[in-house]
Amino acid sequence: MTRFTLPTLLTLTLLTTAAAQDAQTVRLGFFPNLTHAPALVGLERGTFQKALGKVKLDAREFVSGTTLTEAFAAGQIDIAYVGPGPAINAAGRGMPVQFLAGASEAGAVLVVRKDSGIKSYKDLGGKIVAVPSLGNTQDISLRHILNENNLKPKADGGTVTITPIAPADVLAAFAAKRVDATLVPEPWGAALEAQGHKVIGSEKTVWRDGKYPTTVVIVNAKFAQANPQLVAAFLKAHTDAVAFINKSPVAAQTAVNNQLLKATGTKLDPRVLQRAFARTRFTTNLDLAALTEYAKLNVEAGYARSAPDLAPFIRK
Amino acid sequence: MQPTRAARGQSRWQTLVTQLVGLIVILGAWWLVTDVLKLYPPYVFPGPKAVWTEISYGLWGTGPQDGKLLSAIGGSLRRVLTGYVIAVLLGVVVGLLMGAWRPLRTTLGAYLTGIQSVPSIAFVPFAILFLGLNERAVLFVVILEGFIPVALAVSGALLNVPPALRVAGRTLGAGSLGLMLRVLLPASVPSILTGLRTAWSFSWRALVGGELLIAGAASLGEQLEIGRNTANVALVLATIIIIGVIGGLFDSLLRAAEGRVRRDYGLEVPQ
Repeated sequence: MTRFTLPTLLTLTLLTTAAAQDAQTVRLGFFPNLTHAPALVGLERGTFQKALGKVKLDAREFVSGTTLTEAFAAGQIDIAYVGPGPAINAAGRGMPVQFLAGASEAGAVLVVRKDSGIKSYKDLGGKIVAVPSLGNTQDISLRHILNENNLKPKADGGTVTITPIAPADVLAAFAAKRVDATLVPEPWGAALEAQGHKVIGSEKTVWRDGKYPTTVVIVNAKFAQANPQLVAAFLKAHTDAVAFINKSPVAAQTAVNNQLLKATGTKLDPRVLQRAFARTRFTTNLDLAALTEYAKLNVEAGYARSAPDLAPFIRK
Repeated sequence: MQPTRAARGQSRWQTLVTQLVGLIVILGAWWLVTDVLKLYPPYVFPGPKAVWTEISYGLWGTGPQDGKLLSAIGGSLRRVLTGYVIAVLLGVVVGLLMGAWRPLRTTLGAYLTGIQSVPSIAFVPFAILFLGLNERAVLFVVILEGFIPVALAVSGALLNVPPALRVAGRTLGAGSLGLMLRVLLPASVPSILTGLRTAWSFSWRALVGGELLIAGAASLGEQLEIGRNTANVALVLATIIIIGVIGGLFDSLLRAAEGRVRRDYGLEVPQ
């Protein structure tokens, strides 16, 4: 028979107290895209680690919002840079998501292969179009564009084949003529353009005159409740990173390029990066109206049956 | 003593009742773990009610975005049946050749057994590069997986035909082709049917694996992928259940055909 002695009880009490204290690491998720520049710049310049002090920053790279949301659901990520599409889906399914801040707006373009014969949105009928992943932010935007132009995805009885390809692999897919067009986040649009492919949908014509969020920062609500100071420190660092990008774009581009090299093994031509930068806006602002419209597009695309009220999910 | 028709019907009823009770127990345990005890959050492991909602919307919902599972089933069945029919035809031809010609049997036969041990999903990246990001790549994998068990079953069956039948056929004046078509092949039908059943389950599994990686047209694989991407675990489970039910239904159909043929051939005593 086990007997609970005073020392065991004391140890148990100490252990539980320790667990209730602030976390020892912050696990951050992000993608190697320009639309995630605040994350890339913050990592490259050590902004986050400085703000977190003794608490260790554990940055994890993801290819798409899908895998990131899975990690988030499994409780393996505390804070994440992610597109509004996956974030809204996560919120709608009851995951403990809190929208912390905005990160970037616009910065997604529709590029067509130079020999695809596509000149306008209407020509997309019968073509293969790549998006980073099914159900992600660009996929939702693309389905909206198709809808506006009386086109339908093949799976819904239409003619447009929508296929998921990681943005960094889209260049190879274009070269091999495996796809005809793509709606990608920057810098991959500018990189395709540099190879002679054509942008037929600029960041402004994709949706809402370019006034739409492309990347937001979300935090696990439970983590935020248990670690308010850590989250505040991270938010401050994020704000600093965004301010740095807007103040010193050239230095920011170099920082982004260094992180892209680490993540994808390729460095981009500075001119390509510059062009991509010009098409993206970096801001900490969270546009609730735009997010709400996104939630409705998510329903229109068939990824949810109702749009959740997002206001309660936004950090006050 | 032969059991009467009534007794056979009764035992069939008993099986059905036992299976029904088993289903209720499983559903009850699932409901208890998820909806009652709430051991997992619904975005990790949803309860039966949420999954049923996905199934009902997906199969007979009438909203603008409903009925997607139904069209997915249509797409997947069309794909797998096309692949399966081609696989069976190809398998019978290759199997006959292997059964008739020893060198082919010792070379190709051995390789096919090796290829069969490779999981179908391993062929998908090659199929995509070789045939492109399209339906042909899915069909390639389905056919590859389906034709091997048929070919092996056919060639194996030919070898297992009792020598007495060959001798009898020859004596009655059958040529090589006649012997093959009128004696050996009919004698091998029961074993071939077993091969067809294996081929079905291989093709069906290969199909879903291929569709998962090659999205585009309506398919069960795409529904899995969309469920995963939109954090809709209920849709993932609903699709898994549908895949299992369809796979099982076809398997029991083929099993019934196989049983009937085996009885007709006198290989099994009717129960």
